[in-house]
Amino acid sequence: MSAAPRTIRFTLNGRTVAAEVAPQESLVTMLRDRFALYGARESCGQGLCGCCTVLVDGRAVSSCLALAALVDGRAVTTIEHLDADGTLDPVQQAFIEAGAFQCGFCTPGFVLMTRQLLEQHPDPGDDDIRHYLAGNLCRCGAYPEIVQAVKLAAAKRRGAAG
Amino acid sequence: MMPFDLVEPGTLREALALLDPEDSAVRAFAGGTALMLMMKSGFFRPKRLVSLNALAGDVASLSLSPTGELRIGAMVRLAELERAPEIRRAAPVIAAALRRHSNPRVRNVATVGGNLAHGDPHMDLPPVLIALGAEVEIEGPAGRRRLPVDGLVSGYYETVLRGDELIVAAIVPPQPRRRALYVKCTTRAADDWPALGLALSLEADGAAIRAATIVLGAATERPMRLAQAESLLAGRTADAALIGEAGRVAAAEAAAAIIADARGSSAYKRRLLEVELRRALARLLDLPAAGETR
Repeated sequence: MSAAPRTIRFTLNGRTVAAEVAPQESLVTMLRDRFALYGARESCGQGLCGCCTVLVDGRAVSSCLALAALVDGRAVTTIEHLDADGTLDPVQQAFIEAGAFQCGFCTPGFVLMTRQLLEQHPDPGDDDIRHYLAGNLCRCGAYPEIVQAVKLAAAKRRGAAG
Repeated sequence: MMPFDLVEPGTLREALALLDPEDSAVRAFAGGTALMLMMKSGFFRPKRLVSLNALAGDVASLSLSPTGELRIGAMVRLAELERAPEIRRAAPVIAAALRRHSNPRVRNVATVGGNLAHGDPHMDLPPVLIALGAEVEIEGPAGRRRLPVDGLVSGYYETVLRGDELIVAAIVPPQPRRRALYVKCTTRAADDWPALGLALSLEADGAAIRAATIVLGAATERPMRLAQAESLLAGRTADAALIGEAGRVAAAEAAAAIIADARGSSAYKRRLLEVELRRALARLLDLPAAGETR
C-alpha cells in the first residue's frame, strides 16, 4: 500500500463489493459517494453524535472516524440493510410506533445503537438506555420517545424470541 | 484530509520497520479515534500511517495467569476489556472505569495501546493502571523493555516512547487484598472529557490501611501520584477525621499542578479533589461520608 488509491474488497450489506479509495478517505464518505448509501451521515465529525453509525464486523463504529481503506476484507452493514427481507427490523418498527423522531436525521444511528444495546442487554432499564445512548444526539429532542421505543423494541424482540 | 501513505503490516516486526524515529509525521495507527480528530482538524498531517489493525496473536489478546497477573495486548479494544470475564475477576475497576469512557462506538475501536501511547491527560485508563501498579511492555529495534505506566507519560500529550517503538502490552500485577475505585467528574455532558479523574487502590483490613495509591488524572498535565496523601494514610486506621485530612492534603499537594480550563477553574478542581477523595475513601473503607454538611 502507499499514498496511491487502492482497490479494496469487502462485504457491504451482505454483498461482496470493490471500491477504489484514497488512503485519507473516511468510511462515511465512501459509503455515500461510491455506494449511494445515505443513511449514515457525517454530522459532528468527531464520533460524538452517532449520526454516522455503521456496523463493521458486527460492531457499531463512527464511520466518520474510520478510514475506508481499512475495511478491506471486513463486513460493513448500514441501516439500509435492516429491511433487506422486506420487513422492518423490530427496532425500526418500535421507533415508528413510539414516534421516536421528528426530522429523522439521527434515527439511523439510534436504531443501529439500539440493536447493539439489545444484544448486550435484552431487557434494559431507563438508566441502561440513557447511559448506552449518551453518545447519540437528537437535536429535535425526541429523547423520551426514544427511551420508550427502545423498551418497546426490547419487548418485541423478546416476544419474537419466545 | 491531505493525502498520506497508509500501510498495514501483518507482523509486529514489519510494523516496527515501517516506523521512522526521525520523522514525527510517521505514526502508528491503531483504533484511530484520537488521531483522526487531529488529522481532520489539520493539527496532525501524517506522511505515513502504519496501521496495526492486521496484527494478531499476543498483541491483540488478553490473558490472566494462574497467579492473577493480567496481560492486556496493546491492540485489545476497550470494549473487549470492558466485557472480559478476566478483567471483572482480576481488576473490576478497569471495567467500571471504561463504562463511562467516551461512548460505545469509540470503545469498540479504540485500543489499550493507543489510549496509553497518546499521552492525553484526560484519558481514564492511565490513572487506573497506575493505581494498580501496572507496567507497559514496549518493543523497539533494541528489543523489549518494561516501564511502569507511571513512567510512560512525560508531559501533556508526551510520552517517553521513541518514534520507532510500540507498546505491545499492559501488565497488571495480581491485586491480593486490594480494593480499587475510579471517580470521574465531568462538568458538562456525561461523556465529556473529565474535569477530574481520581484512581485509588488501597490495601486494607477493614479500616486499617496498610498502603494506599492515589492518582490524579485529567486536572493536571499528566497523571500525578499524590504521595503526601498516600503516606498520610499508610499504616493508619481510617476514620472521618483522617479521610477529611487526606482530602485537604491531596488538594494542597496537587494545587500547583492543577490546570484551569473550560471544565473548571483551578480552585474549583482543587475543591473537587478534596471532596471526591474523601468520598472515595469513605466508599472504599465503608465509612460514613464525613463532612457532607458544611
